[in-house]
Amino acid sequence: MIIASRKEIPEIKNMLDGYKNILILGCGTCVTICYAGGDREAAVVASGLRIMRKLEGNPAEITHTTIKRQCEWEFIEELKDQVEWADAIVSMACGAGIQAVGERFKDTPVFPGVDTKFIGIPQEQGYWTEKCASCGECILDKTGDICPVTLCSKSMLNGPCGSASNDGNCELDEKIKCAWVLIYERMKLLNMLEKLEDILDPKDWSKGKDGGVREHIREDMQK
Amino acid sequence: MKAEKRVEHTKKLLIEIGLSPDRIEMYYMSSSMGVTFAETIKTLTERVKTLGPNPIGKSGGQDDNSE
Repeated sequence: MIIASRKEIPEIKNMLDGYKNILILGCGTCVTICYAGGDREAAVVASGLRIMRKLEGNPAEITHTTIKRQCEWEFIEELKDQVEWADAIVSMACGAGIQAVGERFKDTPVFPGVDTKFIGIPQEQGYWTEKCASCGECILDKTGDICPVTLCSKSMLNGPCGSASNDGNCELDEKIKCAWVLIYERMKLLNMLEKLEDILDPKDWSKGKDGGVREHIREDMQK
Repeated sequence: MKAEKRVEHTKKLLIEIGLSPDRIEMYYMSSSMGVTFAETIKTLTERVKTLGPNPIGKSGGQDDNSE
C-alpha cells in the first residue's frame, strides 16, 4: 500500500487563501489504512480549517466527503455535483489520486492534503515501513523475498558494502538493519545460501524512475 | 497508554489550528480518590475560566481571536 502522512493544517490553510467554497476530499483506500487521508482525517482537516478561517475573520464554507479510490475514474466521477459547488479541492489522497482528481476536474484547483511517502506495509499498529521502490524489475526471487533496492541504503545488488557495523546495522543509521544481513539470514533459513553465489547482473534502472515517466499497457484489457 | 497518546495528539491538533492545548487534559486516578478528583476538577475549572470561552463560539471568531 501507499503510505502518506497528513500535512499540518496551517500549511493546507496557506494554500487556500482567497477560496470560499472548499471541498476536503478523503480517499478510502491506502491513506485510510495509514490514517493520513481517510474520512476521519478529511473531517479533522475540514473542521480545523473552518476554525482557523473563523479565528482570522475570514470564514469559508468547508465540507468534506470521501470516495472509495481517488485513483480510478469511476469513483472520481461520483464527485461531479460537489465539485461544481467548490472553488477549491484539498485531496487527501496520495500523489496519484491528487493528480487524477485534477485531471478530471480541470477547472478547479486541487491542493495536496498529504505528503506521499512510500510503498510499504503496516509493521505494527501505527508504524509503517518501506518495502518496495517500484524499480520495475523485481529480483526478490534471488534475495530471499527481501528487497536490497529498497532496504539497502545504497541499493547494493551483490552483498553488503564495507561499512555495515559488526552487529549488522547500516552505517547510515544504527537503527537500520543491513539489508544484506537480513537477506543472508533469510536465505540461510530457507536453506538457499548457495543461491547467493550467483552474481546479479547490473540492473536496468531505466525500468524504474530513472527511465522517465512510466506507463503500463495491457492491450488485451483495453477497449 | 493509548488514551494518553490520543490526548497528546489532540493537543497537537489544537496547537495546529491556533487554540490552546490547555483546553484538554488527562489525569490518572482511581474511583476511590474522591478528594483528588474534586481538587482536579476545581483546578481545571479555574484554568478554563482563565482561557475564556471558545473564540469561535458565538463571535464566529470575528471579534475574539486573542487566543
